[in-house]
Amino acid sequence: MDTDITEDQRALLDVSSRFMEQSCPLTVVRDGERRDEAFIATYRRQAAELGWFSMLVPEALGGGNISGNGVLDAALIAYRRGALLQPGSFVGTNIVAHAVAAAGSPPLQQQVLTALIGGERSASWAVASAVSDGRLDGGVQASPAADSGLTLSGAKTAVQDVEASSWLLVTCRAAEGAAQVLVAADTPGVTVTPLESLDLSRRFAEVRFESVTVPAAAVLGSPGAIDRQLDQQLAIAATLTAAESVGAMDAELEMTVRYAKDRIAFGRPIGSFQAVKHLLADTSLAVEMSKAVVLAAARSLGSEDGYGTEAASIAKALVGESAVELAQNCFQVFGGIGYTWEHDQHFFLRRLTTDAGLYGDASWHREHLCQLAGL
Amino acid sequence: MTTEQTNTQIDVESFRLEARAWIEANLEPRTHGVLAGRVDSEAKSPEDIARARALQRRLYDGGFAGISYPVEYGGRGLSSLHERAFNEEALGYVTPDFGAAGGVTFGAIGRSLLAHCPPAFLQRHIPRILSGEELWCQFYSEPEAGSDLAGIRTRAVRDGERWIISGSKIWSSGAYLADWAMCLARTDWTVPKHRGLTWFALPTDAKGVTIRQIQQINGNAEFCEEFLDEVEVTDDDIIGEVNKGWAVTQTMLVYERGAGEMGAATVEPRSLAPDLVELARRVGRTADPAARQAIARAHINDYAQYHLGHRIADRLRASATPDPAVAAYGKLASGVLAPIRARLAMEVGGPAALAWPGGDEEAGRTALNYLNGRVTSIAAGTNEMQRNGIGERVLGLPREPSFDTNKPFNEVLNSARHFDSKVG
Repeated sequence: MDTDITEDQRALLDVSSRFMEQSCPLTVVRDGERRDEAFIATYRRQAAELGWFSMLVPEALGGGNISGNGVLDAALIAYRRGALLQPGSFVGTNIVAHAVAAAGSPPLQQQVLTALIGGERSASWAVASAVSDGRLDGGVQASPAADSGLTLSGAKTAVQDVEASSWLLVTCRAAEGAAQVLVAADTPGVTVTPLESLDLSRRFAEVRFESVTVPAAAVLGSPGAIDRQLDQQLAIAATLTAAESVGAMDAELEMTVRYAKDRIAFGRPIGSFQAVKHLLADTSLAVEMSKAVVLAAARSLGSEDGYGTEAASIAKALVGESAVELAQNCFQVFGGIGYTWEHDQHFFLRRLTTDAGLYGDASWHREHLCQLAGL
Repeated sequence: MTTEQTNTQIDVESFRLEARAWIEANLEPRTHGVLAGRVDSEAKSPEDIARARALQRRLYDGGFAGISYPVEYGGRGLSSLHERAFNEEALGYVTPDFGAAGGVTFGAIGRSLLAHCPPAFLQRHIPRILSGEELWCQFYSEPEAGSDLAGIRTRAVRDGERWIISGSKIWSSGAYLADWAMCLARTDWTVPKHRGLTWFALPTDAKGVTIRQIQQINGNAEFCEEFLDEVEVTDDDIIGEVNKGWAVTQTMLVYERGAGEMGAATVEPRSLAPDLVELARRVGRTADPAARQAIARAHINDYAQYHLGHRIADRLRASATPDPAVAAYGKLASGVLAPIRARLAMEVGGPAALAWPGGDEEAGRTALNYLNGRVTSIAAGTNEMQRNGIGERVLGLPREPSFDTNKPFNEVLNSARHFDSKVG
């Protein structure tokens, strides 16, 4: 995916890949217990030194990117991260930094951005709701509180890496419409319940809000008037998540092709059988198409050419479906060995299937596309 | 030559401005928009072709035919990016429409001739091709050789100064309108199949050539079959070298697969599948979640195919020796997605796509497109051939055991009749 990039971008990617290979190879990804609080904090600070969390924040607010298109830079990092199934709140922290930079009050920006960009803290976007009506603001109600603050009640689910997060960006429903607030994770009334999850390379939690009151300064934008910001935010999250998926798809296909060349059955490498070869060729086409749409979405979003939100939905829908298909196909080629815990394929299957459902699954984004087109 | 130097130095954007000015002054705006309706394989009439030839001549005289063809043969000697710029500028205008024969002539055949023919041959044919005087077709597939192209059985026998060609060909797009054909024949039966093939140029009105249009499932007759009965050609008509025709075939396949842009839009598709939205409106299903999902699916695939095409074109352009297997991604995408799109349209159309009032062409289009949906998954290399190419040449997977690549071709047919699946 990263063949047509600048020297600066390549340098960033190569140093990022080296960092990931050294600090968090697949053996560490597989072992959740090794990824304790200290590990997470160190990883985050080192990643921050590489500029991982500054790319969606304007220079005036302490951020910066290398190519002039922060979404593209972040997507390229995400692609490399996906190949190594990296844990940690990359998408979440970047999205929160972006939202605070775009719609946060100056005091909030001061309090939050330096800590996120510098890797001192991380953040998560609490957007998914267990009982979903297809809206991003479902699950949590916001009612007016004193001095234009808001009081939150309800729950969000599948919130990523929330244990390590200092802040939660909560998308909730106020009387005027959708609203967003930034809540410190240790605010009284916030309860985090770790969940078991399909993906073992990341942690997910349910977050409950029981009359959690936040001041006006923590409210991002005007309730009821943030639909564009939400669309943009979701588009970036969808694009970065799809980019992580494409990295994982590329890596898993490579692993599977290698196996198809090495595994002998009936006196031949199994990859010489058309039943296997054609499956892998189709899978490879899906990877190429996925790369094409993710790059197109990142370019479009980051250059504000007027089609970014649509392109992001296209990328998320296409990549989500292709990724699950790829994981299934690769599993089939591995056969019995793929069903063993020791083999890495299930970590890819778990990750890709999870990513396909985060920030809107394929059906959701297809419907979203229709709505964006005014149908 | 000074013109040539100027030509190679003009940058794409300056050229675009020049093209825009010329187009505005010389071409007529389209009266209706470019149809998003997909596979359009309507047969052209001789009148259509005469109009296209006149228009092609206008482009040629204006210096906009063969933009990426060499100057010495009547082209502009510019890059494919210049050509794309012209095409983008000309989108809203009436341009020469030779149907399938146009793509074959200016794409696959013209480029292959440039790559494999001596200057005298090119002088004879390329300027006439670019000016619309010579329309070409391929005498290529045979009733018993489709995917296995190297297994063709049309023979060419040397007879003094002449070659005598006999056999039958099929699936030649637009042959009934073409002036010349590029014909593949076997010139040596005692060597393995890829090593005894030679390409010849022959006029379609030569003595011994019979061309028949084939009635297709959609009612059209764009494809033809040919019978070659002792057709005479000379050494001057050889394309490439005797018995080295497979090299020419390889070149042609790359161009035929159109750098991945076959069936794909030429501008980034940003409107939600307009043909399907229109269809859904007509049948009152715009609020139906199933129809909406189908419409979005079609649009997502259109957009993905467009960007895949660009990705492939960039990869091919960056390589001095374009790998046909890379182009295979574009062809496979088209072969997989076109049938899906045709089916999605049927889904959106519902009963109205199954039966419609007589004479309502618009209503019948969905069904016609459905019947045409598998054209790109079979023609010009089936999906299975593309999968082999990608699997073996891109992913590096081992080939299937072969029963014919090392045997003299005259033994191959005999062995196949007593097939026992033993290799070697």
